[in-house]
Amino acid sequence: MADCDSEEIAVIGNTDLTAAELENNKNNTMAEAGTTLLRRMEISVAEAEKRTGKNAVNMQETYTVYLIETRPIDAAAESQNPTPDSLWRRYSEFELLRNYLLVTYPFIVVPPLPEKRAEFVWHKLSADNMDPDFVERRRAGLENFLLRVASHPILSNDKIFHHFLAEEQGWKEAVFETGFQAKADSRLKALNATFRVKNPDKRFTELKHYSDELQSVTSQLLRVRARVADRLYGVYKVHGNYGRVFSEWSAIEKEMGDGLQSAGHHMDAYATSVDDILEEEEHYADQLKEYLFYAEALRAVCRKHELMQYELETAAQDLASKKQQREELATGTIRTFSLKGMTSKLFGQETPEQREAKLSVLEEQIAEGEELVKEKNAECEEYVKNAWVDIERFKEQKDRDLKEALISYAIMQISVCKKGIQVWTNAKECFSKM
Amino acid sequence: MSAGTPKSLPSSGQKSIQDISHPLSAEDSVLTPSPDLGNNTASIGEKDLSLPNGTPVDTSSPASSSSLLNRLQLDDDLDGETRDLFVSVDDPKKHVSTMETYITYRVSTKTTRTEFDLPEYSVRRRYQDFDWLRNKLEESQPTHLIPPLPEKFVMKGVVDRFSEEFVETRRKALDKFLKRVADHPVLSFNEHFNVFLSAKDLNAYKRQGLALLTKMGESVKYVTGGYKLRGRPLEFAAMGDYLDVFTQKLGTIDRIAQRIIKEQSEYLVELREYGPVYSGWAASEGDLQEPLEGVSGCIANCSTALEELTEDMSEDFLPVLREYVLYIESMKNVLKKRDQVQAEYEAKLEAVAFRKEERTGMPTDVEKCQDRVECFNADLKADWDRWQNNKRQDFRQLLTGMADKNIQYYEKCLAAWESIIPLLQEKQDVKSDTN
Repeated sequence: MADCDSEEIAVIGNTDLTAAELENNKNNTMAEAGTTLLRRMEISVAEAEKRTGKNAVNMQETYTVYLIETRPIDAAAESQNPTPDSLWRRYSEFELLRNYLLVTYPFIVVPPLPEKRAEFVWHKLSADNMDPDFVERRRAGLENFLLRVASHPILSNDKIFHHFLAEEQGWKEAVFETGFQAKADSRLKALNATFRVKNPDKRFTELKHYSDELQSVTSQLLRVRARVADRLYGVYKVHGNYGRVFSEWSAIEKEMGDGLQSAGHHMDAYATSVDDILEEEEHYADQLKEYLFYAEALRAVCRKHELMQYELETAAQDLASKKQQREELATGTIRTFSLKGMTSKLFGQETPEQREAKLSVLEEQIAEGEELVKEKNAECEEYVKNAWVDIERFKEQKDRDLKEALISYAIMQISVCKKGIQVWTNAKECFSKM
Repeated sequence: MSAGTPKSLPSSGQKSIQDISHPLSAEDSVLTPSPDLGNNTASIGEKDLSLPNGTPVDTSSPASSSSLLNRLQLDDDLDGETRDLFVSVDDPKKHVSTMETYITYRVSTKTTRTEFDLPEYSVRRRYQDFDWLRNKLEESQPTHLIPPLPEKFVMKGVVDRFSEEFVETRRKALDKFLKRVADHPVLSFNEHFNVFLSAKDLNAYKRQGLALLTKMGESVKYVTGGYKLRGRPLEFAAMGDYLDVFTQKLGTIDRIAQRIIKEQSEYLVELREYGPVYSGWAASEGDLQEPLEGVSGCIANCSTALEELTEDMSEDFLPVLREYVLYIESMKNVLKKRDQVQAEYEAKLEAVAFRKEERTGMPTDVEKCQDRVECFNADLKADWDRWQNNKRQDFRQLLTGMADKNIQYYEKCLAAWESIIPLLQEKQDVKSDTN
């Protein structure tokens, strides 16, 4: 934990930069994303394996473990090609890692994990957790998660993360030693509490609004896309029936027979081709899903800021009321109706000694309060600075990723169209020979 | 069984329809040859507007009133035979009178045949006139395959039988019917066909036909049952079997096509929802706005292409399949009639064989009967070959058409997706340059 703290401090110091430097820094992290860990190390989730074992309450359970392979890049460059270090991790351990990162780096938009259960699937796709296709897509998603963390300028330096990659034993214990869980609990409580900030930061309000919108639009998109996939599947598969009927029909024809028969084969091929099309499209859906979950991470950062803002405001309010009390005591006037005022009216005035003692206590509290407000203010400012750096980084990453996803989606559609043209051209040739 | 000898059976249920005076009977005009057909089309149209007891409403699309010459050029089943009779059906018009509402079609003829007084005709006919012609052909040419008419009430779910789609589908079917008759070496010389194409007043002719009917002494009576055919010659049995299987396959293809249309319509509904989600997203993005708008537009274009494909399939593909189902029915009827003629012959032959012990020599009516069977067989075989040939051509055309429509659909989608690639990539390049 000590190591982690020092990392954090270093980072905080690092962010105390001018706007120009900040811009420069951002560009560096963008251009050299992965200067950190990925330059030194190759990371992959090589395979998934089903295992059966006893869980905490001694119940039989089946779960999937994922093989994480790491290989130093230097060695690879020297063409020694050593066998990579490898270890097995369960999905729940990935979850633990991410929770730890969330709590430890509240100002970072922490990369999301792939979904625990298949969501937004079209009906032909299995929603079973043990389904090989699902496991494979999750493997790819987990690898993507590790690569995102490893290429993050701050997260990639985390010791617990390194431990996660490098050593199978003792990792869980190490995570719990950081005491992140106590923080996690209070964080969870705070995130669930309802409170209203008086002076919200406009940027964060907008960002929160954006993350809500991103979440709703991506989930809507995924939902509709699943339905589109369903229908597309239907259109292609029904064409497969032509394959059979053409073949049967060809049996009673003389000149037309051959043409019909081979056209039927092309119809069969057409019907089959939809399986690959939709499997490929699922990759696009996964890319969208990652951003659906990113929206949640983004909102967490906003929420944390709100919480800090709220604490700052509460401290400031407290200080203000203490100051008012002091003024009342000093001048002896009661400006507002209060219980204290009532009691003093009923039971007579306090002695000057009592008043002096109260005043000095108040003075002390005010000094403490001022200190606290200053502290909270600094904390908040620092948070905003750090968070904004990461939000900017996230925005760039998002724009780049989604543009790439859209391009590959378009390219995919182009290949679908080309395949369609090919199949129908072949069929046409058969028909025209009839 | 030579061509052109009317051998009418007593027609039933025709009279009442025929007795309704044809509001157009006085209007049918002979088209005088003119270098400018377009002008004539216009003049016919004007004439229609001044009908005494009908208000024509033009439901025809510009495409359907294309000139006769164009139609001839488009016709592709020429077969290399020299044709001397060209017919086409176009320019449907709606007539609204107090009695009824109906559609008439222009039937244009161009011919060098001497049986016709003029080289060109243009008359207007309604569905029941076509129906009359078909009945007459069936009566007078019992040994021949008469092409089918579209059903009187076709397609379930079509509420408006005056809708543009329904009228156009029917026009195509009527056009096909007349072309099939005109291309037939025997049917095309039928006197009723000649009258149908050329008569100014078809109703007057219909009434005359009715008067004549009573004078017709000899009517063909077929053995309607009770006699079991000794054996259908193999050749005809094979035809029957073929038709049974073919009907079944066509039924399956029809169901598949309908199912595809249904799936495509549902796919279209989803796509129509899918595209706007992208543009909705674009509203909340900066750099991504253009790419997202691009994808949205692209999906909209694909939706339009899909809609066109589905429309083409339901308007061009399904009606042809249905016409063939009817065509097969006609063919089956001819086969049945042939069986009856053969049965009649066999019955007579048996009767003669029974009496043979008493008298020698074949009576003439048995010989006549044998002739009839042989004639029928020859006619049927010729028609069968012609039908097979037509079927092959029609299905080649229909299926390549289907493939073409699908290719066009994918080409439109391809063009849409390809057009947004530069938009997406350009942005990307600019970005990496500034970095």
